[in-house]
Amino acid sequence: MREFEINLEPLSPEVTLIHVAGWLDAHTFEYMEQAVNNLFGEGKVRIAIDLSQVEYISSAGAGVFIGSLATAHERGGNIVLMNPTEPVKEVFDMLGLSQVFTFAQTKPAAVAALKAGK
Amino acid sequence: MPEAHVSDRIEVDAKTQNLAKVREFLHGAIKRSSLPATDVNKVVLAVDEAVANIIQHGYAGRDDGKIEVQIDADHARFTIKVLDSGLSYDTAKGAGANADLDLKAHINAGSKRGLGLFIMRKVMDEVHYSSREGQQNTLTLVKYIKPPA
Repeated sequence: MREFEINLEPLSPEVTLIHVAGWLDAHTFEYMEQAVNNLFGEGKVRIAIDLSQVEYISSAGAGVFIGSLATAHERGGNIVLMNPTEPVKEVFDMLGLSQVFTFAQTKPAAVAALKAGK
Repeated sequence: MPEAHVSDRIEVDAKTQNLAKVREFLHGAIKRSSLPATDVNKVVLAVDEAVANIIQHGYAGRDDGKIEVQIDADHARFTIKVLDSGLSYDTAKGAGANADLDLKAHINAGSKRGLGLFIMRKVMDEVHYSSREGQQNTLTLVKYIKPPA
């Protein structure tokens, strides 16, 4: 099984999609945090994150999204989450994150949501 | 058929790369038990949060710590004990221990503190902590399979 994998895909000049796969736990969350911080460092604050291949998430993983959303908002951007798996949804619901984040099912929908501002 | 009594243990070095090993161990023990499928992810998550907290806070800055996870389950209760010899931290009283934590304000502020403890208390039916100065800390997590009479 893949432990953890991240791939970036530019969707437009302003919007970057991060594909995440595997386990997002207290061991792997730093890789995720680094990927998002790298984008922030490049001035990219409109980020979509594809969660359709994330098999497990703990609070450390969820914490990355919480911190990233706050930073994106501060800088006039946003984070849109795409197609979370059932285990991810369960944790997001538990933490009330499902009401805080914008979700999109397709890349065009994610781009549209991110271009619309926060 | 679930076993009438499941008892098992694992000891790991207190390193985050061992979290996956602990989760795999739990899945194995749960499969032999009567724990309903709807509770499997919850129990695995709660224990993962407990072990991660010990690695990050109890053994902060140390790489020689050990963590033991013990399972004891019957038809009524699935009990997990997590033992360590790091700094004591009362999970029952720490940030996030309160189920009424204002999560929305917490999240809007970008704060991640206490989420693990919040999850543990939210998904488990009992959470107990005991610690003796300079000795072992024991966190006990219980999920009821059948509610106590």
